[in-house]
Amino acid sequence: MRAAWREARSTLRARRRRAVLAAVGVGLAAMMLATSVLVSDGLGGGFNRSARAAQLPDVIARFDDQPASKVAARVGALPDLETFTTRLEITNIPLAANGHFSGSGVLEVLDPGRRGYAIVAGRDLGSAPGEVVVEQALARAWRIRVGSTLRIGRLRTERVVGLSEAPDNVGFPLAEPRVYVSRAGITASFPGRVDQDVNTVEVWLRSPAGLDATLEQARSESYGLRGLRLTTRSGVRLVLDQAAGIVIALLIALSAIALITAGVMLAASSRAEVDRRLRGIGVRRALGAGRGWVAGAAALESFAISAPAAGIGVLAGGLVATPPSTRLLELLNELPPGGRIVVPLIGCWALAVSVAVLTSAWPAWRAAGRSPSRLLRGADLAVNARRARPALRRLLSGLAGLGARLVAARRARLASTLVVLGVSAAFILLMLALASELVSLQSDPGTLGRRYALSASLPATQGRSVAGLPGVAAAAPRYEVTALDSFSLGETIDVIAYPGDHTTFEAPPLVAGRRLRGADEAEVGSGLANVLGLDIGSTLALELPGGSERRLRVAGIVSSLDHDGRIAYIPAAALLAADPGAPEQIAIVLAPGASSGPVIAGVDALGGHVDDTPGALDGERALISALTAILRAIAVVDGLVCLYALVQALALTAQERRTTLGVLRACGAGTGSVARLLAGAAVCVLTPAAIVGVILERTILGPVMSRIAADYAVLPLAAGPGEIALLVGGLALIGAVAVAVVARQAVAGARVVSGTI
Amino acid sequence: MRDILVARGVVKQVGHRRAARRVLDGVDLSVGEGELVAVLGRSGSGKSTLLHLLGGLDRPDAGSIVVGGDELVGASDRALTRLRLRRIGFVFQSFALVEELSGEENVLLPTRLPGSPAGGAARAARLIEELGVAGVAGRAPHELSGGEQQRFAIARALVNDPVLVLADEPTGNLDTDAAADVLALLGGLTGEGRAVVIVTHERDAAAAADRVVVMSDGRLVAAAHR
Repeated sequence: MRAAWREARSTLRARRRRAVLAAVGVGLAAMMLATSVLVSDGLGGGFNRSARAAQLPDVIARFDDQPASKVAARVGALPDLETFTTRLEITNIPLAANGHFSGSGVLEVLDPGRRGYAIVAGRDLGSAPGEVVVEQALARAWRIRVGSTLRIGRLRTERVVGLSEAPDNVGFPLAEPRVYVSRAGITASFPGRVDQDVNTVEVWLRSPAGLDATLEQARSESYGLRGLRLTTRSGVRLVLDQAAGIVIALLIALSAIALITAGVMLAASSRAEVDRRLRGIGVRRALGAGRGWVAGAAALESFAISAPAAGIGVLAGGLVATPPSTRLLELLNELPPGGRIVVPLIGCWALAVSVAVLTSAWPAWRAAGRSPSRLLRGADLAVNARRARPALRRLLSGLAGLGARLVAARRARLASTLVVLGVSAAFILLMLALASELVSLQSDPGTLGRRYALSASLPATQGRSVAGLPGVAAAAPRYEVTALDSFSLGETIDVIAYPGDHTTFEAPPLVAGRRLRGADEAEVGSGLANVLGLDIGSTLALELPGGSERRLRVAGIVSSLDHDGRIAYIPAAALLAADPGAPEQIAIVLAPGASSGPVIAGVDALGGHVDDTPGALDGERALISALTAILRAIAVVDGLVCLYALVQALALTAQERRTTLGVLRACGAGTGSVARLLAGAAVCVLTPAAIVGVILERTILGPVMSRIAADYAVLPLAAGPGEIALLVGGLALIGAVAVAVVARQAVAGARVVSGTI
Repeated sequence: MRDILVARGVVKQVGHRRAARRVLDGVDLSVGEGELVAVLGRSGSGKSTLLHLLGGLDRPDAGSIVVGGDELVGASDRALTRLRLRRIGFVFQSFALVEELSGEENVLLPTRLPGSPAGGAARAARLIEELGVAGVAGRAPHELSGGEQQRFAIARALVNDPVLVLADEPTGNLDTDAAADVLALLGGLTGEGRAVVIVTHERDAAAAADRVVVMSDGRLVAAAHR
């Protein structure tokens, strides 16, 4: 072992450049691993981690303000109850700090008991007046620290004693800014208002298995509590998923693909390293070294390179991925993994090192099994070179063609390089397609099947007047309310209604059944159908905000990204019969080629206000921005992987074919000629890799990712011409850089040709 | 007789500081038009190093080397490259044919480099014909005999019509008959006004030369005319 270690050390000293190149490969792979693990672990486990830390209640009940004593009596009668706590939630409170202001803040006045949030900095509220706890996302956005001051409404300035994460809702700015005070501390400032009233109860059960029975009992005990809304823990998760469900699922799947790419890259890199030194292995075997010794020396050498390189890679991955993923978690009001992420990161390091060591030792072991005389010929391709067909030879007769033939001579290496580059290209393409889709989801109403471009805040009676405005092709009242499924109170449903044919205004693709016709029919989104197990002919039971229930027959199932597909289109008459006060707008479809300007002016003249029709992720700019940062970080790492794989392939070719390069130099080839030869080799690798990448993304990755992200809707993630053009441009740039680097080295190395020709 | 190659006081050192060793220690050599000079010496005497310096493949630490009136020492890498392309032809001991290319394609290789003289394809065809390897021109190197491979290597060295041909142990990998053929070929090259330098450790090979210089410990110690 000691001899093998000495051998490994001396080899490393003698081949410093190659060792550095191998270390860069391992480091990049480890960086990808760490990035993937940080993102997937952070986002995948974020809710459960935060729910555990915050002791998120099993059920949250919201209702109109009630005396605390009355509520306590009702809740105390619930079965399987472990404990409960009450609070008063006051909305539209002005909040101000550090020059920032919001007129729609949420003030949570807490009664004694469990909090339902986790303190991430400072301490929790005490009984002293003038103390406030601020949610972490708000604190970051407004640069509030423990000890800062915050002005709440007309109160005197409060002192921030702690920062919190409460996973019962997303954070600021995805939701309104939220702060917490204790009832004892605020009672004096709101005499008579906050006396003993509450409007929220948080309930913890002894056994979550008894949730259904508790909910049933809660509904029967709720007489007299106006505006009751019950939300279960899974319902809370649903709210968070609505904010970022699509993109989080995409990122987790993306990370899984990154892991595979990293593994393939490590294996290819290590194998190439052994290929380089077949001759040396032959010499050692000829001198009497055993197979185990050869494999052991390769493993030790690989360990000496990969251990520090993987450490640096993991650290770099952490530095790259931590800020954006932490920011995203804060936006979702979820906790980052904290110190426990060290264990998975150590796992990344161990995995990267193990793969590097194994993929060095295994080919060395296999190579050492060959006859020493064959090994002594080393990587010489002389007897193995295959002649190209005459037509191909004519095509590849120039220097670039020779480069292509040289790199193609090593078929196994070419294949492994193609796998790495092809998968990486597909991966980059997927990220580009994802970015385009995110932009569309944010701003293009067409992604939701919406055909109306504008909506006017006018009463339904003004529909005809709006329809008569110049430039308007169609206009009709649009009603939208949030309802609950009567059978499963955790599921919220966006109910949309039009007086006539809704497909004039909104037509998400029909995936089963037909469009609604009758007064008691509904079209439901695939997401809702999946969650509630609805099929054509099933009954959809809606509990509307007014408390009344409406049952409809499912006539069709549509594919929609809106509200994760948890939507239902019903006739306006059915909605208004159950909820006459449902909020209304006028949806406006513009005539082809018409400008929105005159229409907006016309609506203004009618006394209304016009809004653009939103996309699926409209209003989530902060989230999109955080996600874009993560995507960019992964894309940069992936681009570096491509560059490394190509440099490695070209450098190995130049190294093995140094005789050919030496002959070319002797014949009068300059740096440009060598670069042209290497460019041919690069094109030979990059062209099929780009084709593989496009096919892989369009046929496998895109569709699979689309299904993972949103099985309730058609999410077009297949790359289009724009993304493909960007990929080709990027690969061309990477090719140019790789050719320039390797050509420079090859020419410098070929100056002294003694011993090489 | 005009001198094609003039080398004066050529010094080449390898290693640094205490490990430094002079491989060439003040070599003077002139080769005239139509002259074949053999540099004879044992392994490690520095003859291959001298050949690489004469061909502009490497740079001396001191001295002067002039090929066809152009000074190599101090020339830019671009100028040396151009010189090798148009003025100098190399023949190597191991033939150094590119395995992916046929014999004919190997001959054509220098003609496809940017800046090579026009008419390369015609010259290649003529050389292949003259060297008697037209029948096997489409074969890959590993399908050729040693003698055939060396003929293609010689054709490649001549295809851009150089004034100086440098051959490094050109018969080292050949049997006696093939070696004799190759030496006869090299001797015939001088007829077109070229200068030819071969380095070898075989006295039989040196016998074909117009002049033989002997190299020992980095110096040319003796010269003999035929």
